[in-house]
Amino acid sequence: MMTGSYFVLRASERGYDRLASTGPNASYVAGHPDAFITRHSSFNFHEYQSGRAGFGKIRVFGDEVFSRPGCGYNMHPHHNFLIAAFILKGSLTHINTMGRIDVLGPGDYYLASFGSGGKHCELNLETEDMNAIYLWVVPDRLMLPPTYARSHFDADATRNRITTLIGNHQGALPIPQDLKVSRLVSDRAQTRIYLPTSPAHGVYTFVLEGKIGCDGATLERRDSIGIWDADRFTIETAAEAADVLFVETIM
Amino acid sequence: MADAGPKRLMCLGCGFLYDEKLGLPEHGIAPGTRWADLPDDWVCPDCGTPKSRFEMVAIPYAGETPDPGVAVAERL
Repeated sequence: MMTGSYFVLRASERGYDRLASTGPNASYVAGHPDAFITRHSSFNFHEYQSGRAGFGKIRVFGDEVFSRPGCGYNMHPHHNFLIAAFILKGSLTHINTMGRIDVLGPGDYYLASFGSGGKHCELNLETEDMNAIYLWVVPDRLMLPPTYARSHFDADATRNRITTLIGNHQGALPIPQDLKVSRLVSDRAQTRIYLPTSPAHGVYTFVLEGKIGCDGATLERRDSIGIWDADRFTIETAAEAADVLFVETIM
Repeated sequence: MADAGPKRLMCLGCGFLYDEKLGLPEHGIAPGTRWADLPDDWVCPDCGTPKSRFEMVAIPYAGETPDPGVAVAERL
C-alpha cells in the first residue's frame, strides 16, 4: 500500500518535442540537414510543456534522442544548474568550457556544475541514434566555480544492487545539493525496500527498461513515479531484466 | 506575498541569475532594480527565455552565509 504522497507519470503523458536542425531551431540544434532531437520531458521543461514544474530540486528530466550524424545542441551558455547526462545508447561527444572534450558511451555519465558560468555542446557524431537522460538540478549555492566530472555505471558488477551514481557516497560523483542518483539493473524476482534518507526527501523513480512494481503501482518502460512524505517504499522486480533510475532529492 | 528583501531569480532555460541587489548594469539595469519593475517583455540576456520562466530562489552564493533578508519563497 502506498504511504505518503505520490504521482505516477506514464511514458506517454510526458511532454514531447521534436526539434529539427533546420528552421527556427537551426542555430540551437546541431547537425545538418536532416538531424533532429526528440525529447520526452517529465517536468515543465522551458516553455514546452504544461506539466509538473519539477520535483524537489529537479527541474528537468529529459529522455532525449539525437538522430542523424552531428545532431545535438550547439555550444550554449549556462549558469548555476547542475546538469547530468546518463548515456543509454549510442555515443555522445560532450565539449565544455571547463576544458573537456569527452566521448561517452552506454553506462557512462557526467555531472557538470555550471556555477559562475560555462558553455557546453552535446553531439552525436555517429550514424546510430544516441539516447541519454538529461537531469537538471538547482544547486545549493549560487555561482560556484564550474566543474565537470564523468564516471561509469557497470551494470554487470552491480547487478541486482541499487548503486549510487551521484551523491555523497563512496565511488559516486559528489554534487553540491542534497540529492543522489542511483540505478538498479535487475534480473531477479525480488522485493526491495527503498529507505529515503529522511521523510523530507522525495524519490523520483524512472523505469529505463523492463517493468517493476512500486508500492503496488505497475510501471512499464519509461513510466515513472514520484514519492514523498514517505519513510519507505517497495520496489518489486521480476526475473525479466529491468533497469531503473532513482533520483532522491530534498523536497 | 512577502515583498521584503532583495530577490534572486534564476532562469529555468539556462540558470542565468538576476539578483535585485546587483541589477545588470552591463545590460542597462541599475543595482536595486526590482524584478517587478523589469518590463514584461524582458528576456534572459543569455538564452532568450521569457521573464515568466524565471524562478525565485532563496539560495546563498558560494561562500556566503544565508542572508535572512533574501525572500524565502520557492516559486513565483
